[in-house]
Amino acid sequence: MSVAVEYSIGELMAAVMARQLRPSEVAIMGAVSALPQAACRLAQLTTAPGLWFIAGGSGAVNPHLEPLVASSCDERLLNAEAVMTLPDVILVEGRGDLINVFFAGGLQIDARGNCNLGPIGHWTHPTLRGPGGVGLPFVSRAGRVVIYSMSHDRRTFVERVDFVSGPGFPADPRELRGGGPSLIVTPLCTMDFDPGRHLARLATLHSGVTLDQVMEATGFAPILPVKLETTPAPTPEELSILRRLDPAGLLRVGA
Amino acid sequence: MFLSSAEAIGRLVPEGTGLLAVGGMHMHNNPMELVRELVRRRRGARRLLTSPSASLAADLLIGAGLVDEVATAYIGFEHLGLAPAYRRAAESGTVTVLELCEAAIVHGLYAGAGGLPFTALPAGLELSDVSSANPEHFHTITDPFTGVRVLVAAPLRPDVALIHALAADELGNVFFAGAHFTDRLMAMAAKTVIVQVERMANAGEIAAQPAESVLPGFLVTAVVVAPRGCLPTASHRAYGYDEPALRSYLKLARTEDGFAEYLQINGMVATGVTA
Repeated sequence: MSVAVEYSIGELMAAVMARQLRPSEVAIMGAVSALPQAACRLAQLTTAPGLWFIAGGSGAVNPHLEPLVASSCDERLLNAEAVMTLPDVILVEGRGDLINVFFAGGLQIDARGNCNLGPIGHWTHPTLRGPGGVGLPFVSRAGRVVIYSMSHDRRTFVERVDFVSGPGFPADPRELRGGGPSLIVTPLCTMDFDPGRHLARLATLHSGVTLDQVMEATGFAPILPVKLETTPAPTPEELSILRRLDPAGLLRVGA
Repeated sequence: MFLSSAEAIGRLVPEGTGLLAVGGMHMHNNPMELVRELVRRRRGARRLLTSPSASLAADLLIGAGLVDEVATAYIGFEHLGLAPAYRRAAESGTVTVLELCEAAIVHGLYAGAGGLPFTALPAGLELSDVSSANPEHFHTITDPFTGVRVLVAAPLRPDVALIHALAADELGNVFFAGAHFTDRLMAMAAKTVIVQVERMANAGEIAAQPAESVLPGFLVTAVVVAPRGCLPTASHRAYGYDEPALRSYLKLARTEDGFAEYLQINGMVATGVTA
């Protein structure tokens, strides 16, 4: 038996997200995306060699992340294999056959995988004006959408978002041009989506987290799986790569 | 061509400006010296158009009450937090928010730059609430080629664009370094373009790297040399963003009094000077 290695929630989430990626896929992410960027780089170095990823507004393709940085437009991301202009990135996001994985998030996330980064409350008179969805409407055209959130509480996970920035499964899923949401990763658990009902389904609980804890923190009732597994911990190899990428500890803050 | 920030804003951003576009992305390449001059002179516009992701420049103009409306897809500070003045103004209704997405901004600017009457957007974008929340900007029409319903968006033709670049020569040819985000597009679509630069281009610099001189002088109205003028936001290939200064803004700007104090501390109280 190997000795248990301590890891942060951010490191666990990065490892979980990395395992979603496959060789030669193209992934994209937006603002506040150090976590999916780390996941992509980790995947390139482990299970998904040949993965491509576009680091948000910087236009950087396969940034080396030496080091991982907090802002998605940091010039250090331009230390990359290629750099696209931002208008070019936004252009090809529209093609619909290029982006396999879109990493998304929201101030509100609901059971259909809708994400809201805009107004909370009624959009004309919001009680909280969120920043805005940037490119989230494009998730409707991506192969699949991986949703991540560093908050798991009833304010974030709601029955129905007040405003759809990034569309999840619509009432008629045929309206969707892409594959729709495939996974939600939070500090407590992972959820996938029931293939028939297109609703969030609890998939794994992180080590030490109880089902009650997740139900208490979630504003909708996720479908419960037949068997609830524990999220596999990051391996020592995964942790060693993540820590090499992230000397500043962005993935260890608050976790 | 080369003007001081006071001359450029005084002459080129007249009272009653309609659509003002401000470049940069997140806390990078915000043309802050030009924005501070707007605040000092109490000059603004009826409507502010942001890049796909705006930060301090937009928050300051909104907080100072210099724009009635803001057309945007994001105003925030990424990992540092939400935009305090934007939040206060949008939540209290003192600024009207016109929802856009990055596609509507970029394709709209292409339409503005190219003289296109409007731009058609990819299917699927209509599933977000952005287009239904901004019926002035988005319509649904029948695609004459396929007969399918398609979302279309208005062209964006700013009256004035304020952008930042590393350097410019005496003819106004602009030399970019690092990412230039949507700044070139804004300039190509705008009627008046003011470019804030770190410095004049060195002799031979553009000749040595003409591929980085991607905004020719005939698209530029004025150049303002403002060394370290993007601070506290970053200027690619010159300096990073000043995180403590941004955090101090975010802390102060949580209240109206704090916002006023920030303007005072940073020399942005009205001067009444005219160019």
